[in-house]
Amino acid sequence: MSDTSNPDHPMIYQVRLKGHLDDQWNDWFGGVTITLEESGTTLLTCQVVDQAALHALLRQIRDLGMPLISVNRVET
Amino acid sequence: MATQILATKLYAPVPRPGVVQRPRLIDRLKERLRGKLTLLSAPAGFGKTTLVTEWINADERPVGWLSLDEADSDLVRFLSYFVAALQTIAPQIGTNITNLLGSPQPPAETLLTTLLNDIAAIPGDFVFVLDDYHVLDSQVVNAALTFLIDNQPANMHLVITTREDPRLPLARLRARGELTELRASDLHFTLDEAAEFLNHAMGLAISPDDVAALEARTEGWIAGLQLAAISMQGQQDTTEFIKSFTGSHHFVLDYLVEEVLSRQPPHIHDFLLKTSILDRMCGPLCDAVLQDDGYSAEETLEGVRQANLFLVPLDNERRWYRYHHLFGDLLRKRLRQTAIVDSDELHIRASRWYEDNDFEIEAFQHAAAANDVERAERIISGTSVPLYFRGVAHPILHWFESLPSEILNASPSLWITYAWTLMAAHQSTQIEHKLQSAEAVLSGVEQDARFRDLLGNIAAIRAMEAAIRYQADTIITQARRALDLLHRDNLYIRTVVTRALAIAYQFQGKRAAARETYQEAIAMSDATGNLFVNVLATTGLGIIQTSDNELYQAAQTYKRVLDLVVDPNQPITCASHLGLARIHYEWNDLEAAQVYGERGVRLAHQIESIDSAAGGEVFLARLQLAKGNVPGALNLLNEVEEIVHRRGFAKQIPSVAAVRVLLCLHQGDVTTAAQLAQAHNLPLSQARVHLAQGNPAEALVALGSYREQIAAETWPDERLKVLVLLALAHHQDEELDEAITVISEALASAAPGGFVRTFIDEGQPMRTLLSEAAARGVIPEYTRKLLDAFPVEHRSSQPVSAQPLIEALSDRELEILALVAEGLSNREISERLFLALSTVKGHNRNIFDKLQVKRRTEAVARARKLGLI
Repeated sequence: MSDTSNPDHPMIYQVRLKGHLDDQWNDWFGGVTITLEESGTTLLTCQVVDQAALHALLRQIRDLGMPLISVNRVET
Repeated sequence: MATQILATKLYAPVPRPGVVQRPRLIDRLKERLRGKLTLLSAPAGFGKTTLVTEWINADERPVGWLSLDEADSDLVRFLSYFVAALQTIAPQIGTNITNLLGSPQPPAETLLTTLLNDIAAIPGDFVFVLDDYHVLDSQVVNAALTFLIDNQPANMHLVITTREDPRLPLARLRARGELTELRASDLHFTLDEAAEFLNHAMGLAISPDDVAALEARTEGWIAGLQLAAISMQGQQDTTEFIKSFTGSHHFVLDYLVEEVLSRQPPHIHDFLLKTSILDRMCGPLCDAVLQDDGYSAEETLEGVRQANLFLVPLDNERRWYRYHHLFGDLLRKRLRQTAIVDSDELHIRASRWYEDNDFEIEAFQHAAAANDVERAERIISGTSVPLYFRGVAHPILHWFESLPSEILNASPSLWITYAWTLMAAHQSTQIEHKLQSAEAVLSGVEQDARFRDLLGNIAAIRAMEAAIRYQADTIITQARRALDLLHRDNLYIRTVVTRALAIAYQFQGKRAAARETYQEAIAMSDATGNLFVNVLATTGLGIIQTSDNELYQAAQTYKRVLDLVVDPNQPITCASHLGLARIHYEWNDLEAAQVYGERGVRLAHQIESIDSAAGGEVFLARLQLAKGNVPGALNLLNEVEEIVHRRGFAKQIPSVAAVRVLLCLHQGDVTTAAQLAQAHNLPLSQARVHLAQGNPAEALVALGSYREQIAAETWPDERLKVLVLLALAHHQDEELDEAITVISEALASAAPGGFVRTFIDEGQPMRTLLSEAAARGVIPEYTRKLLDAFPVEHRSSQPVSAQPLIEALSDRELEILALVAEGLSNREISERLFLALSTVKGHNRNIFDKLQVKRRTEAVARARKLGLI
C-alpha cells in the first residue's frame, strides 16, 4: 500500500467520458488535462496524490451526470 | 448543546404546477407500497425529487422529509434531524432520544434502539424521505441506517433519493422483495413524455421529428431537455436551434447552459453567478452578498423562479430557496472562470450575514470556503461554547484535514483547535500528534499571555484525554498545569478541566481535595451557565458527601441536580437517582429507595456502556434481601453477575460478591460465604463470616488490619462499617465494656446522618447490643429510634408459596405498586413519577387485573405475599 499515499510518487489516472467537455472545465477538476477525442469522447488525464483524491474526482464526474466509460491507472 | 434545527431541511416540497404527469412510474411506486424501502438512484437531473414529490402528494399517508447536506455525516446531527423530521408527523415523540442526543458520547446502539421505539410509537403508517443521500460520506451513518432498516417498524416506509447507490444491504433487501428501485433507465423521459414536456409544460410548438432529435441528443435526460426548452422559449426558429444543438460535439450541458445564460438580461446573469455560492438563499442574504442597491434581491428571486431557472423552494412562504444542485454546480463553475468577480469576497459577505443572524455553521462554512482561516477559527471558537462541542465536529474536521501544514504551522492555535475537534469527534488516537505539532511551533514564539493560554489548552486536552482512560496521576499533573496557564477569562475550558481534576482526586480517594475541587467547578459552572458540567460536578459532590456520612447534605445535593435539569428523566441524572436510592435505603425508607433505584438503573441503561447500571442492580438485589424477598434478590443478583462477568465490569465484581455473602449467610450456607469472602479479599465480609461461625477472635483480626489500612485515609463511611462489626465481635467475645465503647463511637458518627440500616441489617445480635447501650444511656434518643426500627418479627426467608401471576407486572406497574404500598394517593404518585393522573389510574387497573384483586389494600397485601414489594 506504500504507493497509494506517498506524495513523492503521485499516480496518474486517465478517465474517459462520453461527450465533449470544453476546456473551461480544466480548473473545475483542478490540474486535469482535457483531451477531446474524435470518437466523441473526452479523456481526462490527471495526477492524484492518493485514492481519496481519485474518488473526489469521480464524485465530481458523478455530480455532472456524465457517463463514465473507463478509468485507467497509467504506470509511471 | 445541539445546534438549532433548520426548518428548511424538513420541508417536503409540493408539486410544481405543470410538471409532466408520469403515471407509469407513480404506478410502480404505489405497487410496492408495503415494502421497507424505495430507492431512486440516478445521476443529477433525472427528476428524482420531483417524482417523489408527485408520488407522496397523491398518497394519503403523512410524510416526514429530510433534505440532507454534508454536515449530516455526523451521527448525532443526522439523528437530531431524523427525529425533528419525525416530529413534523408526530410532535409528541422523541423526548427520550433528544435527551440522549444532548448527553455526551451517547452509544449509537442505545440511540438507535430509542429511535426505533419512537418510530414504532407513531400512530398509523407514514412515509419517510431522505433526499440527496449521496452527499453523506459516513460509515457511521450508513451503519446506523442499516440497523434501522434491519429493524424497521412496519409502520414506516423509507424513501431514499441519491446519485449513487447507498452502502446499505441492497442485495439482501432485493432478495427479500423489500426494495422498490427506480434507476436512470426508468426515470429518463420517454419520447411521449418529452413531447408532453416541451409542447405542453413549456409551451413550445415543436414537431415530432425535432422532439425525437432532442430526445435522442439528451437521451431523455430531463435537466438537458429543460435547459433546451428554456433556450428555445421566445425563439422563432426552433428547428435551427435543434439542428445546431444536435450537430455539436459539445457536452450537452456546456452548450445548454451557455445558451440559457446568454439569453438572460445582465442583472439576472450577474445575480445567478454571484448567488451560486449559496447552498440556500433568501432575499436579505442575497442582498448582503450582492451589495448592489440597484435592484432588490427579493424581486429578482421571484423573477428567476418565474423564468423556471431551476429554483427550488425550501418553505411555504417563498422565503428560502436553493438552486437545483446541478444548475448550481454549473453556475459555480462559470463563476470561477469569471475573472471580474472575487468569489472569496462573496463568501465572506455570506459568512458575515450568517454570523449576524446566528447561523454559526453556515458562517463557518463560508469562511472556510473563502480561505479566511482567521475568521473560520474565530467562528469555531464560538461565543460561549465552541462549535465542535455542539454536534458539528465533522465539517470542521474535514476543513482541518484540507489545510496544508504550512497554514497550521503559521498559527499554533489552529493545531490546538484541531486537537479539540478530534476530541469532540472521538478520534483520540490522532490527538497527541496535533499537540506535539503545536508544541513544536510554539517553541519559537514569544512567551506572552496568549502563549501561556495555548500551552494551557494543550495541558487541558491531555488532562481530558487521561480522564477518558482513568489515569488519575496524568489528569492531576496536566489539569493543574492547565489551570495555571489558561487565561483567566477562558472559563469554558477552566470549568471542564476543574471537574476533571476533581474526578482524579476522587479516583485516588483524596476526598477533601475532591470535595473542594467539585465545589469550585460548581461555582464556575454556575457563573458561566454550563449546565452540563454543573450537573456532573454537583453529582460528584453528592457522592463525596455520602461517603463522608453527610447523608442529609448529600440528599440536598442530589435533589439540586434534579432541579438543575428541570426534567428529572434525563439520563445524566442516573447517578443522582442511585445516590438518593442508597440514602433512602440507609434511612430505612425502602419504598423510596426502590423507586429511586429503579429509575436510576433505567436511566443508566440509556446512556452508559459503563458499569453504573450494574452497580444499581447490585443495590436493588441488596434491597430485595432487606425486604425479605430472598428469591427476588437471588434472581437479580444472578442476572447482574452474568452481565458483570460477560462485559468485564471488574469494579463491580467485589460488590456482587459482598451481596452474595450476605445471601449465603441469610440461607445458612456459611461455607460458600467463607469461600467468597476469602476469594475476593473482602475484610468486612470475612468478619461477618467469622461472626456467623461463632469465632469473634478471627473477626477481630480481620477487622483490625482493615482498620489500620483505612486509618491512613479519612474514610468515614468505611470506618463506620468497621466499627459496627468490631462492636459485634467484642460483644460476641463477651467483652461488654469494649463493645459498648466501640458501638458508642459508631453511634456518635452515624447519628448526624441518621443512619438506620447499617445497624438493623446486623439483626438480633445488634438489637441486643443496642439495648445494652440504651440501658447505659448512650445517645438515648438515637439509640431508641434504632431499636424501634427493628422489625417486630423476622420475616420468613422461605420462598413465597402464593400462586404465581399469570401475567407479570411491568417495571412501571411495580414502581407504582411500591408507591401505593407506601400509602401515596394517585395524585401524589402522578406527581412523583411525572405522569398524568389518568395514566396512573390506567396502570392501577392493570395492576388490579394482573393481581386479580379489586382494591388498593388487597393489591398491596397480595403483592407482599408474592414478594413483589
